[in-house]
Amino acid sequence: MIARRTGVRAAVVILGVGTLVATADAAPQTFNTALPVAKGEFVFREQFIYRRAADDPSPADRDVEVLGAISVLGYGVTPDLAMFGVLPFLDKELEVTMPGGARATRKTSGIGDARLFGRYTVYQDDAPGRTFRVAPFLGLELPTGDDDDRDGLGRLPATLQLGSGSWDPFGGIVVTYQTLDFQIDAQASYKVNTGANGFEFGDQARLDLSLQYRLWPRELGAGTPGFLYGGLEGNLIHRGRNEIAGIDDRDSGGVSFFLSPGLQYVTRRWIAEAIVQVPVVQSLNGSALEDDFIARAGFRVNF
Amino acid sequence: MKPFVPPPSALRALLAALLIAFAIPTGLAAAGEKADYAIGVDGLACPFCAYGIEKQLNRIAGVETVSTDIESGTVTVTMEEGVTLEEVAATKAVEDAGFTLRTFERKAVGE
Repeated sequence: MIARRTGVRAAVVILGVGTLVATADAAPQTFNTALPVAKGEFVFREQFIYRRAADDPSPADRDVEVLGAISVLGYGVTPDLAMFGVLPFLDKELEVTMPGGARATRKTSGIGDARLFGRYTVYQDDAPGRTFRVAPFLGLELPTGDDDDRDGLGRLPATLQLGSGSWDPFGGIVVTYQTLDFQIDAQASYKVNTGANGFEFGDQARLDLSLQYRLWPRELGAGTPGFLYGGLEGNLIHRGRNEIAGIDDRDSGGVSFFLSPGLQYVTRRWIAEAIVQVPVVQSLNGSALEDDFIARAGFRVNF
Repeated sequence: MKPFVPPPSALRALLAALLIAFAIPTGLAAAGEKADYAIGVDGLACPFCAYGIEKQLNRIAGVETVSTDIESGTVTVTMEEGVTLEEVAATKAVEDAGFTLRTFERKAVGE
């Protein structure tokens, strides 16, 4: 029972690590873009994540750490249709003070839930040195992660499992306006979480905005130099309450808003990038644990 | 009776007419001649996207080199000797990369 309660309360932190990451092109780091993947070509992305939530005022003094490596492969089926596969590898650890005062550590690692989704460009307006695109996307999160992992204290709580065990559809729309000097991306998305093992994560709705500005080179010369972008991203995330055996968990769900400064270096063949997501607003239900920060770094390859 | 000797200006006109007659139908790609093509692309605004266009153009038979000037949105394609780049092929390559062809111009090598 203790394990279940601590796991439930950690839900806000552990959820979402493998959520919609940017996919290809010069793009936001915390969500998607409408920029194209060339027909018949692949792009690959690897993003490393560190997520920490250790500021727990409750007697349980929960401390959650999540390390992740998220691999994304994109393929251009047509100039307008791109398919993406996302596979996370996660390492999750929860430390909690038990009622007797002893400190317990529960952890797991392995493949998480994979995602498959397609993105289709429905509107495109190109001009010299700029483009405007609108692209809805639709996909499914597959129960590829272990949802029945156990340790010495028994079965890990659902929120600490690597996978949800459920088939969860998601969709949304992303809009991109890119010029040689700056880029704006905006996305609205929704994920329907279905249940498994008597547990159902709350649905998730997101609004994301990203502004990137070319810091270097200040003046473009001949050829195609690498671009250094500075960026600021914002993520407004609403999570519904989880359900345990059909009953709402009052210590889960709520609204979070992250502001995230980042850097991105973009060349013709590869991109290196890093960003830190700082929670500005966390209006969470009950004693749901708040995030301290999320750090992301990674690379993308055009091959 | 003197044999007919055409004036030099008439010979030059005849030579020009022959060159035009044979050169135009083959796209000015005479054997032993290389050609550069300047392709204006709309929508191109970052280096990563430029590579997608270059890959598509490199798939065309006879393409020797492809380079992009991102500020002007111009992709320069150099063809192998005697090979012509057709505009329809260039248009398809640019569109397959997800962009829009704005202009298509043949230039002498090094021009």
